Amino acid sequence: MSVGCTKERSLSFLNKDFDMDRFFILLFFCGLLGCSSGQPPFRWVGDIDPNPKLDNPNFLLCHSENDVRQYFNMSKGLSFEGEKPAIVSYFENNYKPVDVLESGWIRVRFIVNCKGQSGRFRMLESDEHYKERPFDKKISNQIFTLTTQLSGWKILQEKSEAVDYYQYLLFKIKDGQIVKILP
Amino acid sequence: MVKSLKYCHNHFSTRHHMLKIYLFLLLISFQNVYAQPNCNYYKLSGDQKKYEACKAAEKREGHYQFSWAYQNALDEALAIDSTFSYAYSAKSTAYLKSGDFVTWVELMNKAVEIAPADHLDYRGWCRYQFFRDYEGAIEDILWLKKLNKNHIGFSVNGDYHLDVALALCYKATNRTDEAIIILENKMKDPQFMTGLYDHLHLGVMYLEKGEYQKASEQFKMQEQKNDLAENRFYAAIASRLSDDEDSYLFHLKMAKKHYLNGQKMFDPYTEHIDKIFLSDITNEEQKNFKTEASEVNGYVLRRQ
Repeated sequence: MSVGCTKERSLSFLNKDFDMDRFFILLFFCGLLGCSSGQPPFRWVGDIDPNPKLDNPNFLLCHSENDVRQYFNMSKGLSFEGEKPAIVSYFENNYKPVDVLESGWIRVRFIVNCKGQSGRFRMLESDEHYKERPFDKKISNQIFTLTTQLSGWKILQEKSEAVDYYQYLLFKIKDGQIVKILP
Repeated sequence: MVKSLKYCHNHFSTRHHMLKIYLFLLLISFQNVYAQPNCNYYKLSGDQKKYEACKAAEKREGHYQFSWAYQNALDEALAIDSTFSYAYSAKSTAYLKSGDFVTWVELMNKAVEIAPADHLDYRGWCRYQFFRDYEGAIEDILWLKKLNKNHIGFSVNGDYHLDVALALCYKATNRTDEAIIILENKMKDPQFMTGLYDHLHLGVMYLEKGEYQKASEQFKMQEQKNDLAENRFYAAIASRLSDDEDSYLFHLKMAKKHYLNGQKMFDPYTEHIDKIFLSDITNEEQKNFKTEASEVNGYVLRRQ
């Protein structure tokens, strides 16, 4: 019912000393907050809600929407088969530099589920001053499509259980060429 | 009467002096923008509005940076005092980590606009670490040096003095000679305590300039301070380019051993400059020492 309460529920996983009594009290008050505010707050900063118009219907989370972690929560860093050089090599081999004098950053964020599948891709584009603006489609469409086709994301675990997690790739673009891939 | 007045004056002066010291100590504690500001500093300075904003921001304690509760506490603080720059900075972190650099920059620009000396270190460092925006990081760090008379502190993750970060940005923008001068000067300074990776970075800079002996000396120092797969790998390269096969094979073997044991550069969010990967080691293993040795002047693994 309320997104507010789900936040606090997820927080309980972060606090080992969190006891159940406090949890249910918090749940109750969060429920009140969620009902009375009229405008449900977000779950976590940057959450990607499913969108049937954009997303592959076959991509499913293994856990609830509230339990999608961030890639760095498990302190493993970027986890990909063949490590970062495999990602760099993939884009070097498949991205066709575009002869357009546009520079800046393109970020594609997505979720990797407990099976290592990726989905819910969302793109953010900016100029070299971090001002949001679209790139030439010949650049952004390539990067977006290549990212959606990239496979090799590792399954990350917490307490021996595979989790769903947010991952992103950030492309630093200089005059239509990829000059750096982060993180 | 005179004695009494004098006592009062002395007493007042002492108290006044103590108050100044106290405020100074609070100010020092506040200078660390990443820690919770000490709200009493504002109270004792007579800035009630900022004190209340600061207290509102304290409500975020115990909540995760990405949570609504955390962000809401900071929004409340900003509703009380929109010039409470710390709140913008604290809000920005979750956006940074989620890759929403547009919102991150908007928030950090506000913080810097209000209090540049308090926030340029964070913005400058993150422009380097998360975006490889070398020019932007150089601009921020140099601005901070000017404002703080060269006292610029450390990166937010504690890995580097910001002068070292500046040197890394210079190297990445083909100003390696300037980068080397900065690092050499830092290491000569008896007050400077070298960071986790400083010798490694300086060694790699020498390696790139073709100064293999100096490079090897730095890798040895790195080995003694914080032995990693990286310094062993680059020590192997320096040995190869110096035509020392035994040393080459030994260091390459140690590089692989350290790497597989997890003894390597690591950051949970991003990768360090000069970091190596397992494929770098295996590619090197497949090279023929005799034909590869001394065929180039200088070595660049990859230009970041």
